[in-house]
Amino acid sequence: MSISALLSQYGDRYLTALFTTWKLTALSFLGAFLIGILITVIRVCPIKPLRISGDFYVQIFRNIPGACLLILLVYALPYLKLTFPYDTCVLIATTLIPSAFCSEHLMSGMNTISPGQIEAARALGLTFPQMIRRIIIPQALRSSVLPMTNLLVATMLTTSLASQVPMRPMELTGLVSYINTHATGGVTAFAISAALYCATALVIGLIGSLIDRKVRILR
Amino acid sequence: MTTPSIRDLLYEPPGPGSRRRIRIFTGIALLLLLMLLFLILRQFALTGQFAPRYWSFFTRITTWRFLGVGLLTTLESALTGSAIAFLLGFLLMRGKLRRNPLLNSISAVLTQFTRGVPTLLFIYFFFLVVPQSGIKLSAFWKITLPCAVSACGVVAEALRSGVNAVPKGQTEAALSLGLTETRLFYKVVFPQAIRFVIPSLLAELVIVLKDTTFAYIVTCADLMQNAKVLISNYDAMLSVYLVVTVIYILINFLLNKLSDRLAARMHQPPADKNQTKAPHPSDKY
Repeated sequence: MSISALLSQYGDRYLTALFTTWKLTALSFLGAFLIGILITVIRVCPIKPLRISGDFYVQIFRNIPGACLLILLVYALPYLKLTFPYDTCVLIATTLIPSAFCSEHLMSGMNTISPGQIEAARALGLTFPQMIRRIIIPQALRSSVLPMTNLLVATMLTTSLASQVPMRPMELTGLVSYINTHATGGVTAFAISAALYCATALVIGLIGSLIDRKVRILR
Repeated sequence: MTTPSIRDLLYEPPGPGSRRRIRIFTGIALLLLLMLLFLILRQFALTGQFAPRYWSFFTRITTWRFLGVGLLTTLESALTGSAIAFLLGFLLMRGKLRRNPLLNSISAVLTQFTRGVPTLLFIYFFFLVVPQSGIKLSAFWKITLPCAVSACGVVAEALRSGVNAVPKGQTEAALSLGLTETRLFYKVVFPQAIRFVIPSLLAELVIVLKDTTFAYIVTCADLMQNAKVLISNYDAMLSVYLVVTVIYILINFLLNKLSDRLAARMHQPPADKNQTKAPHPSDKY
């Protein structure tokens, strides 16, 4: 099928799919970011059981394959009388997995803070929550802009998981497999989706390095 | 965490007051965690998921042999995929470091492309489009090839950052000794670069391994697919998927641990300040 024929027939579907991918990416990233910060605070707090469960959480979701998590959520949880709609399951999966990586990035961002700063903060009498909020988190965030940019791209790629469940409206990957099973979209159908993914990744990357240049702390 | 990190520096040894407070909060946290565990287990019990018919077949050796065969296919696919990704990534990296502008931009575009497209899209491409053009691939290659293609851009970037991390003085010394550019690359730069990127390559293997879980799309008999067969045999969705997921998590955890261990060992001798920062492994998870 030629590109014009494809676009005239499926053009608005592609647009909807693109927006669905964007929406899913934005929501997941926001959730992952907030959970990531929370988990990171838990992982550095002085309460042992919380620390250990924070580490446990990260190891689980860092190492679980997306397909396994989604299948567990969609097909296995109903056996526990916990049934969520498809799009909620997808959103949970695409939030939890990046959240673990977010926490890892923040941890390594934290490790770039020199111990002298912590000692200075303690000498000034800052409490632990104050130190976290005023010294650690801002610096950890500033030095992890590039990893976070990569995380946003990775989150976008993870949202292709949605194609594994009958979620409506479809996102970019789901739409392509739909077109190719209903008509012969051929290479073109893939090329359009791939181009949209790549363009989004490119824009994210550009914005990321712009922000990074603005906020990075030169040491 | 094996490496000493900022979390050990955040507080001084607590005094008696804060020690008591920490103890109280530790107690509360433990209680909450136990309650969470209890709630989960209760949900299992209430819905009858602890019933022996869901778990008894795991005591049979044939179950594990069947899963083991699937796991072997998974590992075979992941290793083959990684090897291909390494070769492709190597070519892309070489292309990107050449002085030929055409080769340069082609490799840059291909690297960007494979990094920016989700693995699932590649899988559907090999599953739906490649057969339309008359090429017949076995199920194994239908899952292995897309995983490899999807990973190669990330590998190329990892290799490139490894090559860039080799100190410039080495190149200058080798050139002044009269080595040709090719010999310089294969004898001096690359052996050091590869040592440097081994942790990221291992992390890459984890990514490929995770991607192979989509093998059920092309009905390749990997661990996931065999799990599905078990499920239809024993009508035990939850238990089988839980066990299989734990297997995946454990394998990936061990690979990641190994990668961290190697990275830490590499940083220990602080011979060269330039080498203390590992390249960021990947942007695919």
